[in-house]
Amino acid sequence: MEQETLPQQSDAGGYGGSPPGATAAGLRQRVFEAITVVLPRVLDRDALEITPEMKLMSDLGMRSASMLELLLELEDNLDIQIDVEDITEAAMISVGDLADFVASHASTND
Amino acid sequence: MTALKAVACYLPDKRVPVEDVASRLGLTPMQARLFRRYLGLADIRLDHDGTLLDLLSAATWRLEELRGLEQRVRYVLYARVMPVVVPYPVNPVRDLCVAFGLGHAVSFTVTHHACATGLLAVDVAGRLLAEDGDPDALALVLTGEKAFTRDAQLVPGTSVFSEAAAACLVGPDGPADRVLSYAASTRGEFSGRLDEISAMASSFEKEYPASLAEAMSAAADQAGVSLGDLSLILPHNVNALSWQRLCRRIGFPVSRVLLDNVPVAGHAFCADPFINYVTAAERGLLRPGDRYLIAAAGFGATFSAMVVEH
Repeated sequence: MEQETLPQQSDAGGYGGSPPGATAAGLRQRVFEAITVVLPRVLDRDALEITPEMKLMSDLGMRSASMLELLLELEDNLDIQIDVEDITEAAMISVGDLADFVASHASTND
Repeated sequence: MTALKAVACYLPDKRVPVEDVASRLGLTPMQARLFRRYLGLADIRLDHDGTLLDLLSAATWRLEELRGLEQRVRYVLYARVMPVVVPYPVNPVRDLCVAFGLGHAVSFTVTHHACATGLLAVDVAGRLLAEDGDPDALALVLTGEKAFTRDAQLVPGTSVFSEAAAACLVGPDGPADRVLSYAASTRGEFSGRLDEISAMASSFEKEYPASLAEAMSAAADQAGVSLGDLSLILPHNVNALSWQRLCRRIGFPVSRVLLDNVPVAGHAFCADPFINYVTAAERGLLRPGDRYLIAAAGFGATFSAMVVEH
């Protein structure tokens, strides 16, 4: 399986390997939307209204294991691969922080 | 100065894919996948037919340097994680001593530092030998456990345990490998079941990298070296990701942490650093005079590091 790294943003405002017209903000939004879909499943909680400001640990009770599970779910959902070696505590504070991290550390599977 | 005279290890041939172990333990497919995808674990060593005595004996058999020196061995220390490993009155360590001509040695278990207990045992062995004052006296440190129970097989989302063993011959002094320092910090506030006390688990996860980094820095300071001077780190094999993140935190190149055994050997309780030493020696990764650091962390929680000169 070839991996293509998504550049931060091309001159044309798009991303290699992502749908035409995608932008940094667009990818980040797709990641956030995917989080709202898969996070309730990872946490086994229904009717969970997720906002970018929500704290992953203090508000949602997440720990490193569930965080990794969430990333794996996002990989499947978005058909991407996430390079987790760079993940820092700062990237795991809020849902929005995690979305930023994923958007900047994702590569496509094609 | 305490010296590691020789190290040998035994890894059972049987390799079980980490997903199989995780599935058998009731994890979801996604929970099982993350061990390989993110944590770097792939094959787990299990020896279903062997006993604990078999496991420890296999490592001791491979310690060829022990042959002919049995009468000089004054202490046999069994470093282990689990509080109970065999039913009373089974005593595999005594049985091993008798089988290997070490029946005269004082044998006992060292524990309560969990996966960092191997380093504690080396330190205890060195202290006992120094106190004895006999330059020819030796101690044998044994590590390795059977993964019988669910608790002994799995740390959810973190690691899967392997059955493997190591034997380390310790002397009171010698040219190599000289133990330059040992630092251990026990954080009793993390004593308890992390899977049942969520707040403690979160706090432990947050404190883990800084606490292990502190122990490593303390050992380096005691030895009079900087972390950058170290040629190699021999880690415990809890998983690869935690070491990658720790290296990034302390600015140490992850290429100098021997993580190659994580996917092929799994996390073998206290035996990991010794198994990694054997790998480093076999590959010629250590040259005379090199300083390397052995590091381990154990639930409970203890963070330990030892600087050794090859």
